[in-house]
Amino acid sequence: MATALQACLLLGVFIPLASFVFLAFFGSKLGGAARRHEHAHHENSHGHAEHGHPAAAAPGEPLAGWVATAAIAASLILALIATFIWAGGDGESRRAWSEQAAHGAALWTNLGSVPIHFGVNLDSLTVITFLMVTICSTCIHVFSVGYMAGDPRFARFFCFLSLFCFSMLGLVIARSLLFLFIFWELVGVCSYFLIGFWFEKKSASNAAIKAFVVNRVGDFGFVIGLGLCLVYLGTLSLDSAPAVFEAGARAAGWSSTELSAAAAAVPAEQAAHAARLFTTLLWGVPLATWLGIGLFCGAIGKSAQFPLQVWLPDAMEGPTPVSALIHAATMVAAGVYLVARVFLLLTPGAQMFIAVVGCITLTMAALIAIVQTDIKRVLAYSTLSQLGYMVFGLGVGAWVGALYHLLTHAFFKALLFLGSGQVIAGCHHEQDLRKMGGLASKMPNTAIAFLIAVLAISGAGLPWLNVGLGGYFSKDEILAVAFYRHFNADKPAAEHAAGERAAGDVAALGSGVPVLLAANESAHAAQSHGDDPQAGHAAARPAPHAAPPVSRVPAALFWLPIVIAYVTPFYMGRCFILAFLGRPRDEHIHAHARETPIMYRPLLVLAGLTVVSSIPVFLFRPFVAHAAPGHAPLVPAISGDDHALHAAHQWLPAIVGFAWVVGLGSAWLLYRNGLALAERIRRAPVVHLLHHVLWNKFYFDHVYGFVLVGGTKVVAVICRLFDNWVIDGVINNAAYVFERLARFSGVVLDNRGVDGAVNGLGGGLWSLGGLLRRFQTGLARNYILLAALGVCALVVAVLSGGQASWALALFVAAAAALLTPWEQVRRGLMGER
Amino acid sequence: MILLEALMFYVFAATMIGSSLAILLSRDIVRSAVWLLGTLGAAAGLYFLLAANFLAAVQLIVYAGGVLVLIVFGVMLTGRQAGAMPLARGSEIAIAAVVALILCAGLLVVALRGPWIELPGPAPAPVAAEMRTIGSELLTSYLVPFEVASVLLLAVMIGAAYLARPEKR
Amino acid sequence: MFDIGLTHYLVVSIVVFCLGVAVMATKRNAIGILLGAELVLNAAALNFVAFGRYRVPGLDGQLAAVFVIVLAAAETALALAIFLNFYANHATIDVDQGASLKG
Repeated sequence: MATALQACLLLGVFIPLASFVFLAFFGSKLGGAARRHEHAHHENSHGHAEHGHPAAAAPGEPLAGWVATAAIAASLILALIATFIWAGGDGESRRAWSEQAAHGAALWTNLGSVPIHFGVNLDSLTVITFLMVTICSTCIHVFSVGYMAGDPRFARFFCFLSLFCFSMLGLVIARSLLFLFIFWELVGVCSYFLIGFWFEKKSASNAAIKAFVVNRVGDFGFVIGLGLCLVYLGTLSLDSAPAVFEAGARAAGWSSTELSAAAAAVPAEQAAHAARLFTTLLWGVPLATWLGIGLFCGAIGKSAQFPLQVWLPDAMEGPTPVSALIHAATMVAAGVYLVARVFLLLTPGAQMFIAVVGCITLTMAALIAIVQTDIKRVLAYSTLSQLGYMVFGLGVGAWVGALYHLLTHAFFKALLFLGSGQVIAGCHHEQDLRKMGGLASKMPNTAIAFLIAVLAISGAGLPWLNVGLGGYFSKDEILAVAFYRHFNADKPAAEHAAGERAAGDVAALGSGVPVLLAANESAHAAQSHGDDPQAGHAAARPAPHAAPPVSRVPAALFWLPIVIAYVTPFYMGRCFILAFLGRPRDEHIHAHARETPIMYRPLLVLAGLTVVSSIPVFLFRPFVAHAAPGHAPLVPAISGDDHALHAAHQWLPAIVGFAWVVGLGSAWLLYRNGLALAERIRRAPVVHLLHHVLWNKFYFDHVYGFVLVGGTKVVAVICRLFDNWVIDGVINNAAYVFERLARFSGVVLDNRGVDGAVNGLGGGLWSLGGLLRRFQTGLARNYILLAALGVCALVVAVLSGGQASWALALFVAAAAALLTPWEQVRRGLMGER
Repeated sequence: MILLEALMFYVFAATMIGSSLAILLSRDIVRSAVWLLGTLGAAAGLYFLLAANFLAAVQLIVYAGGVLVLIVFGVMLTGRQAGAMPLARGSEIAIAAVVALILCAGLLVVALRGPWIELPGPAPAPVAAEMRTIGSELLTSYLVPFEVASVLLLAVMIGAAYLARPEKR
Repeated sequence: MFDIGLTHYLVVSIVVFCLGVAVMATKRNAIGILLGAELVLNAAALNFVAFGRYRVPGLDGQLAAVFVIVLAAAETALALAIFLNFYANHATIDVDQGASLKG
């Protein structure tokens, strides 16, 4: 079974790669004959292609699209098979399969003494994320066949999509951090290709470069984290690294909890080495925390968290299916996935850092989303905000909640983006919400699907009845954990401890999540309850697997997400109402709007999946809950199943349960008659200022532009001034002195009739100039001579032994002679100009 | 026997150095090319003395038979005024001579004073390098360089054909 | 004097090497430069074989020389193709005429 599972997943990864290779070579030869002149025409006027006139069939259309779709659909089928197999196994056999997969991993290479294995990291999270990615990608592929119709680079688009899917799926199954990093970079480069797909547009190619560069900033941190792992933990494997980390923490006296079996098996020497992570301080912070923060930096870049969030809205320049693929299913999810995977390598400090970053992001992005008028940018900022929720969830320890939110979010955000893609394509590439309105009558299917997604992201549901959509469960689980960590964390939780740990006991989150575990999960639930970190009773009770103390989170980290839970439905409602309801604001657009079956059918599929993923007892959440780190020694990992959360239940639904009603209602009040009312409010004195700040995205781009770009410019200017004044000054003055000297000698000495001396001096200077000029002759043979001179310098260095500094000086002098602009010197010597 | 070997060595070495010198000094490119034959042949002779029979054969076949013909062809295809090609400037030649002499002196000092590993006892008996041994070595221990070299040759073939093809306008 | 050893070969190789460098540095004819390169390569190959004979037992030296010869052949072919192209464009193979990229 383990073999079958691995085969399914590996095949699923490599089929898109095969499709990529095939399309790269033969993509443009598929389908009808490529019409060269059409191609040239499209290159010139891209707008023509964007309007999707079906007249001109691009090379490879539509067969290339269907090849890529077939590849990802095959992956989807394999993912489904894997999911069925996995769901069929009980806790024990699943563990056996994971271990079999771990043992079967092939040795790829040895980095020094650290072996790097290539294999499938087989657990519930891998399986379910794999399924999610393949489902979303398949829908997006089908959608793209319609959306990209008529594009001159149709085949290349699907080529990149296939490569992207390969990279993302590889990232999901990677069992070594190194492989994760490799696929991570592949994903990055694919996003570069895809965002800049319409590179004729300056803004698109700029956005691609921006995304790539900003991601490099984050990856820098990631590499530092990897380096720390490699050096101190001596392993990059995702399952042995946490064990070594735990053993190191124990050896350094950081945790007093019972060691897990894997950690106990770590050799004492390695543990002592790892302990240095905790005892070595850098700027007053232990290296272990830096390790967590470094790895998280990668996620900051990829998941566009504060302060690297600037690339994501600009990435909207890419084709809309790309936005969906990058923002919903895959790339931004990669950051959250990474943090989830390295969750056990975090220290409380790093975790607090993550929570703060997530909280800032979710707040800021939601506020900016209120004022955006471009439909895709609204969605981009809502993505930022939702990602902020996930990161924040991981930061406060809601591992299960964050990843469940990742899954539900992937479906409804893909739906939103594809819906907006349908709107944009149907409205002749009009993206401005102010020109839409009343589209529901023209695009009924799109409108319904979009409405479902809006309700899901708003967290619509009926509190205490346990009926809701998407975000209703997943977001609330994150908020419940935050609530718990704010109000209950420092209370002694002993009263929760013993009795509530009974097997099969059912947790009920106040606002939802009734029976979180399917029946066949109950055995595992019992075991996981035994492991679950609960509250600060570690010191009080010397229980096995006692949990780390749960620290109290500051009020802001609790109240800001709550407030934003009200803002989210507002801006999503605004977006929906402006686009689909009300009177049409642009008759021309409204008159020509239409929807296409190939585009809205994937929407309906995704809408169905949004509903399905909202059932907390079916498939998605149980899988995530099963993968939750049962034994987290350093940081709290709190799941919605924990009884400690009971205390949070009474109040949370009262606080946020009806946020969606309030948010959507206020959006309805404000925008049902178009933009007039909102415009009046915007003009109000204080609001005006606020709007200005939000409209400029808190001035992040300005600040970055000023500080980074401007800083570079300042440095460049300083360099130029130095070059102009100092270097040129020295050269020119020297030249002037020599020239005067030569003239003086020429005039004075010649007058006295000492011709020999004059000619000697003049000739000497002349031949000096000639000699120096020869360094820049552009003749190969002279360069060969220079190389030989270099060898001579090396020989001198070898022979002089102890006095190598002389040889070095000689060499430096030779290098300097090569680098000096002799042409200028010669002109100075010759007295020319 | 030793005497004969020494004699052969001096003859080949003198031929090699002398031919090289002639290449340097001759002003006519055709003569230079012919002198190259002397250098390459002498090198092949030295390989024989070094017990590298196979290598010597390869040297004769590939170099004297292939490369040299190629070069002569090059001369013929391009060399209408090859004989009339002016030399580099006198100053340049002087600098080149000085640099070459310095380099030669430096390298000689390194070679003569260099702490080369001294194998114990007399020089080892020459390895009888049969073609069979070399062939199996090439396909086992040296497989990767071998393959890389073949790919390189392919690339060179394509590149040369591309570069030398007549201009299509 | 009559006991030929490593040093003798090294001396020959060094002299030929330096002559090759000198040839490359003085010829204006592109093919002349190519001849210089052949001299340098031959000197290097001789070095390999000599070390293989006297210091490093085994076939390493000879095989290195084989690869040197292969590379030299490839290099000659490519260089001649470049010269022919150059000749087609400039009607000469005087390398001094090829300095149009000079800064």
